Amino acid sequence: MAGKSGATPSTYSPSPTTQNKKRPPIFSDVDWVRSDGRGFHQCRPAFLRTGAVNSASGSAYAEFGNTKVIVSVFGPRESKKAMMYSDSGRLNCNVSYTTFATPVRGQGSDHKEFSSILHKALEGAIILDSFPKTTVDVFALVLESGGGDLPVVISCASLALADAGIMMYDLIASVSVSCLGKNLVIDPISDEESYQDGSLMITCMPSRNEVTQLTVTGEWSTPKIHEAMELCLDACSKLGKIMRSCLKEAASPVQE
Amino acid sequence: MSNDLSSEMEVDAFRRLFPLRFHERHLQESIRPDARPLGKARDTSVALGAVASADGSALAKIGCTTMLAAIKMEVMTPTTESADEGCIAIDFHMPPICSPLVRPGRPAEAAPVISKQLSDTILSSGMINLKELSLVSGKAAWMAYLDIYCLDADGALFDAALLSAVAAFSHLQIPVVSLNDDGRVVVVSDEDGGKLEKEPVNKEKRKLKLSSIPFSLTCVLHKNYILADPTAEEESVMETILTVVLDSSFQLVSLYKPGGPVLAQTSVIQDCVALTRQRLKELQKILNEAVSDMEED
Repeated sequence: MAGKSGATPSTYSPSPTTQNKKRPPIFSDVDWVRSDGRGFHQCRPAFLRTGAVNSASGSAYAEFGNTKVIVSVFGPRESKKAMMYSDSGRLNCNVSYTTFATPVRGQGSDHKEFSSILHKALEGAIILDSFPKTTVDVFALVLESGGGDLPVVISCASLALADAGIMMYDLIASVSVSCLGKNLVIDPISDEESYQDGSLMITCMPSRNEVTQLTVTGEWSTPKIHEAMELCLDACSKLGKIMRSCLKEAASPVQE
Repeated sequence: MSNDLSSEMEVDAFRRLFPLRFHERHLQESIRPDARPLGKARDTSVALGAVASADGSALAKIGCTTMLAAIKMEVMTPTTESADEGCIAIDFHMPPICSPLVRPGRPAEAAPVISKQLSDTILSSGMINLKELSLVSGKAAWMAYLDIYCLDADGALFDAALLSAVAAFSHLQIPVVSLNDDGRVVVVSDEDGGKLEKEPVNKEKRKLKLSSIPFSLTCVLHKNYILADPTAEEESVMETILTVVLDSSFQLVSLYKPGGPVLAQTSVIQDCVALTRQRLKELQKILNEAVSDMEED
């Protein structure tokens, strides 16, 4: 049968790729309507659940619009044999995409850059001294990419860590803002991200009011950066509350 | 000696220290640690359309074992030998999230085995007529990329993967396409449907006709016992497994027994086939309900 035998013929996706399209002029106007009908400063509705993967020590599923992510946490478990002795614990992060996550079929390989950003975002919040000599593994799989993937992965990962009972100073909430012409658009979808002039992502611990990571790319003016940071911090504290209530919900039936 | 210990020990400790004895104790009473009788499968559910970025997708759960299957349709030039046939490429993935045994860069041994089994089963069962995937004879045909991701591994991986795969095919909506001036196939979007320059080439063929859908049941063989739909713990502790695949008219599609110290006698195989027949009816019902639920929406 003609399965995967022999050389796979080269294929192409029949859907038009977004890269070839010019940026619609609408984005440079002051007033336009986002394709999902949200206001510029309105985040997508967040759906969060812990305990998505039974075989993991802790896990969480997050769905923000079309962005769907699962994060599993394993450990603390024995570090690799080759690792030197260490008084504090180690954190190991990995982010990968499914082949069908993006509009054009991908290779489903590891996302090295995101893995390292996730590591840096989480590192500051975890009390690594609480598990010496061992490693905590945080693995994320993006089931579907609908824009703002990285902030969703980070928030979901901190929820999974909490589910696994890893000691942290606080939960970590992450939100990004895109700059499109004159407007700041919070929690952008893929289309908005592909036409953005610049992007800003904040990862913070909402109840301590501390930022663990701040990434700015593209073209920004100083007042715009201030405005974007205010927007993000405000959204992070709201997201933090949603995450907290999700954890409480998961814990309450046990107490009964 | 451990007999004496068992009366004094906590159940959980006994389970971890003597997993085989723990399970055999249960088997003597014809019950399993999760309160199932030996021949009963775990609760199973199917949800269609879990991934919006794919042309067809499904999420299948058997107990805790969770599989996400999605199909993406791409266009290829068919080979000269089979000018009017499309192609199906099936891949099974076990990402590190699914089990503590899988780590990044060190893929699970089971993944390529299951991948090959799935590919063989789906293609040889005759469920899909590859001619239906043809667009323009000799020029263009569909390549259906089916990728199955294990999200949570807790035994009977093949059964769950096959269920999610057939469910994804029953959810598949083939995009309407037309040939453009360069001879490439492009999707006809709803927006410019009014001012169509080219006639779509596949207006009628939006759904694949699925004949004789295969369903499977994996059983653990241990001494004289047969346990249907094992958990990961049962698979790891006991002697061997046997997977039976039947199609919807109860014809045998495949039988797989990967070694192990227990020999599968004819009577044992017959028992497993009988269990699979029962399971097939359950699975058919679950799949049909999922399909009709989707059509109502």
